[in-house]
Amino acid sequence: MFDTPLTDLLLAYAGFEYSIFDYCDTMSQRGVWQLKKLVVSYCNWGGSSRGVREFMESKLPAFKESNPQLEVETKHIGGQHPHLEGIYRNKNERTVCVRNMTPEEVLECATKLRNSLGRKVVKLKTRHVTKHPSVQGTWTTALKL
Amino acid sequence: MAQRRVFQTLARQYSSFSLSLKTLNPLLQSLPRITQIPHFPQTFNLISSISASNQHTLFTITRHFSSNRSDDSEDSEDYDDDEEDEMGESLDEDDVVSGSSGKREYTPEEKESEAAAIGYKVVGPLERSDRVFKDYEPVFAVIQIGSHQFKVSNGDCVYAEKLKFCEVHDKIILNKVLMLGSPTQTLIGRPILPDATVRAVVEEHALDAKVIIFKKKRRKNYRRTKGHRQELTKIRITDIQGIEKPVMPVPEKTKKAVKEVEKVAVPA
Repeated sequence: MFDTPLTDLLLAYAGFEYSIFDYCDTMSQRGVWQLKKLVVSYCNWGGSSRGVREFMESKLPAFKESNPQLEVETKHIGGQHPHLEGIYRNKNERTVCVRNMTPEEVLECATKLRNSLGRKVVKLKTRHVTKHPSVQGTWTTALKL
Repeated sequence: MAQRRVFQTLARQYSSFSLSLKTLNPLLQSLPRITQIPHFPQTFNLISSISASNQHTLFTITRHFSSNRSDDSEDSEDYDDDEEDEMGESLDEDDVVSGSSGKREYTPEEKESEAAAIGYKVVGPLERSDRVFKDYEPVFAVIQIGSHQFKVSNGDCVYAEKLKFCEVHDKIILNKVLMLGSPTQTLIGRPILPDATVRAVVEEHALDAKVIIFKKKRRKNYRRTKGHRQELTKIRITDIQGIEKPVMPVPEKTKKAVKEVEKVAVPA
């Protein structure tokens, strides 16, 4: 494929593994999961990790199967609270502390990480994002119907 | 003295026996027979043994306190509730919304689709190898999702309230279209346009930024702080149907320029 920086941008936004012609159409074709990697950090000794340990035994395999595109890694941290870390395509990282949570709650956290894009959590300016705001022409005071 | 005491207790119990509704008929019949036996110590032993064995049952039968009644009724209610819960769970196994606080269970898929209709969206199949995303077309539609309305065109993103029954990368059909427009034509619905459909894809389910709700009444020692994150769904509009779209003549020059760019990039 291409190696220019423009194409990197396209790849960051673009959707599927399209053919050459589709890549050049628009950058805004999304269909790809934005979460690339999920790191589940846990501790074998700590009581706050109990839920995460149960989650890893019971629910993590099912979560992995339902998300084959996701790279899930388990990491042992000694003596620290457990957390889930999500790494997104736009190189954003989101860490969620899951200490003292039940396995169901941990699964909810993991699902929320998977469902979201990597965008920065900022207050939305508008709820409607568009590049072409007007179809029939913007209204002006001089317009007469 | 002990014998007299035993007899008194026996007499009391017998009288209570006769009063209680739950009559242990065989025991009642057996007791007078036993008392009639002439051998005193043996009968005494028998009676004592019987009484000992029956004491527990007698006490449970005879002692009816007001608190006991309430306890019994509570127990019976608990049993009924357990039965109902079991029944409900067996019915609701199909579509159960997971989560620690997930109380709602939407039984069949019909209910899900009905609830979706209330929010004016229908979930289609998941997207795989579908070329759903198109170029911009100069057509707009006014859509209603829940209680909010948006003027939407091809390729737009809309942040709506969380749509419950769809997941990320689901195709959605928005039914409630109030108005359609193109550069040459406008269709106004009364209040909905029946044949119009707007297709969209769910892109993400995420939480909005935290909003701190701070309440204060001055000089009254009242101050409250509450954090709130709204759950949003980002929808990308892919297609609008129900109006004649103007056919734009695609200029050939842009295609040639694109091909030249490709040829330059490949050797590099």
